[in-house]
Amino acid sequence: MVTIQPFSIPDELAGYLYVTFFLANIPLGGILARIFFLVPKKTMGTLVMIECRELSKSYLIEKKSVFAVNNINLSINKGEFVVILGHSGSGKTTLLSLIGGLTSPDRGQVLVAGEENWQLSDNALSTMRNSRIGFIFQFASLIPTLTVMENILLPLTFSRNPAGSREMARDILSEVGLADRENAFPSQLSGGQQRRVAIARSFINRPDIILADEPTGDLDEETERDILELFRQYNANGTTFVVVTHNSNLAATQKNARVFSMRQGVLSAHTI
Amino acid sequence: MIPKNIEKQLNILDYALSSLWRRRLKSLSVLLVFAAVIFLLASFQMVTQALTAKAKQLLVHTPEITLQQMSAGRQEAIALTYSHQLAEIFGIRKVVPRIWGYYFDEVRLANYTIIGMDLSEIPGNALLDTTLLSGTMPEKAEQGKVVVGQSITKSLELGGRLTFSLFRPDLSLKSFEISGEFAPDTDILSHDLIVMNLADARDLFSIPTGLATDLCVYVTNPQEIETIAKKISAALPGVRVLTRPQIQKTYQVVFGWRSGFGSICLLAALAAFAILAWDKASGLSPEEKREIAILKVLGWETGDILAVRFWESVSVSGLACLVGITAAYIHVVYFAASLFRPVLMGWSVLRPELQLLPRLAAGDILLILAFTVIPYLAATVIPAWRNATVPADAALGG
Ligand SMILES: Nc1ncnc2c1ncn2[C@@H]1O[C@H](COP(=O)(O)OP(=O)(O)O)[C@@H](O)[C@H]1O
Ligand SMILES: [Mg+2]
Repeated sequence: MVTIQPFSIPDELAGYLYVTFFLANIPLGGILARIFFLVPKKTMGTLVMIECRELSKSYLIEKKSVFAVNNINLSINKGEFVVILGHSGSGKTTLLSLIGGLTSPDRGQVLVAGEENWQLSDNALSTMRNSRIGFIFQFASLIPTLTVMENILLPLTFSRNPAGSREMARDILSEVGLADRENAFPSQLSGGQQRRVAIARSFINRPDIILADEPTGDLDEETERDILELFRQYNANGTTFVVVTHNSNLAATQKNARVFSMRQGVLSAHTI
Repeated sequence: MIPKNIEKQLNILDYALSSLWRRRLKSLSVLLVFAAVIFLLASFQMVTQALTAKAKQLLVHTPEITLQQMSAGRQEAIALTYSHQLAEIFGIRKVVPRIWGYYFDEVRLANYTIIGMDLSEIPGNALLDTTLLSGTMPEKAEQGKVVVGQSITKSLELGGRLTFSLFRPDLSLKSFEISGEFAPDTDILSHDLIVMNLADARDLFSIPTGLATDLCVYVTNPQEIETIAKKISAALPGVRVLTRPQIQKTYQVVFGWRSGFGSICLLAALAAFAILAWDKASGLSPEEKREIAILKVLGWETGDILAVRFWESVSVSGLACLVGITAAYIHVVYFAASLFRPVLMGWSVLRPELQLLPRLAAGDILLILAFTVIPYLAATVIPAWRNATVPADAALGG
């Protein structure tokens, strides 16, 4: 199996791949690309980080089936910053769960880095989440009996370099402005501080994708600005962001963001 | 370099232990209840085993048929002349008179059991020597030689001496010399026992010639015991005929009742334990569910999450087993199973101050594990498995 890591593509190759990619997205293009450019299939679409195809998920609410996510088609490239705006109950959290492989779709597919989530075994799906995705939950997601440091290190429990990961965790903690709280327990922190710990945790495994559910929910304006600035830095270094929120300010401050709005499970390009 | 799989398991074990430590109050209470159940189970098992072994030992040396003279429902001395009548019954190999009784030592306030018998007369008597730690059994012809149980030398405060004296009923002294000592593992039989030849016992208790306490009948063919016993009963009315199977049955009845009672106690303990396990199984708390969901979202594999549970349970149950079995051993050996005294009373009446030598075979340990650790593991790992295999979107919240 040959995969070309997005980071390792030399510039000369990039243009070539763009052509391939273009061909891969027109009918028969994939076959043409493979015949003429001899590009292994795996590498195609590496620039598409996330792809949702006719994605639907419904829940039974009061004995009626209600679409939380309704036939969504969405393609997100590596390094994009996507903001999805929507009121409460519009299906934002469900969409993130589907992308992260936490919820199985009723219909349609989700591909992360070219691999379809629900074709993967349970373990491969876990590995995918562990290596590619950083989650920032809408609600408190820290384990209350673990310290800040222990919570942040959870995704790295099985990695080989505990000493180095501690250093890394300290760096990230200071980035979110909590350098002095590594031994505190979540109950000793404010809601906003807990949120920042969760953000730090999502960065620890250097994920390709950050899925953030109302990340600035409990933050005061100044911290919100700091966190969004941090997002921009990570984004500039190539991390793909999908941020869902009901806060339209957030969309306004992220200059290069691709903004969508979501309404009753239906996604559409955002218009102001 | 540690192989990757082992390193991973070590990391999981580390996480499991620290997670037990985080919930130390809860872990400790589970551990204590668990250890208590295992303590009861193991104590009971050890006592049962020890008693079974002892009872078997006791019965090996029981004569095949014992004859006692009854008068007004009480036992009396039996006439040796009966042996002549017995000689006519086909299948009897040997009749050996026995004198036995209790001697109360007023100086030391101790009770001794005295058995006087010419052991050389017993068919297959060579077996008896295996019960000795040192020395030889008293010979028929030698005067004043005795073999004593472990407690006797201590009780008589002999120091290094081998001679001591006991009072006859007329308060004259009769002296004895210790020629051998019983082995500790025959303790239930020999603890307070002094064995001498028939003539010495007759002399000590002043029992007239021609009488004995009972007659031990040995048969040629053990299959014939019942028939011979019936013939003896017919030939000697007024004599109580006890056969070895009868004595065995009496023990079994008493013993069966005791273990039955014990089983009920055990069942109660197991039920309590099952409730605990069930409570844990059904009541995976919302925090625990959330923790599982969070770990799942962070990319832990289902197997990792289960492994944490597994190591937690193995640590708790392993430690509980260790504590429970050790406590049971101490309880049975050093405190003579004092918690079970009320149930065991009958046994201590049978043999005062019985010293239990507990045995715990590998099979018993497996049995205890099967009844405790395995259900516990199942009760803790299965609900985690159910939770870890469902999609983990619950933790994201909506
Ligand atoms: N696990 C669930 N069971 C039943 N209904 C659900 C579940 N999760 C979400 N829903 C429903 O799906 C719809 C979208 O929910 P959600 O994705 O949480 O919206 P948002 O995050 O935009 O507030 C809501 O109507 C919600 O009630
Ligand atoms: Mg939501």
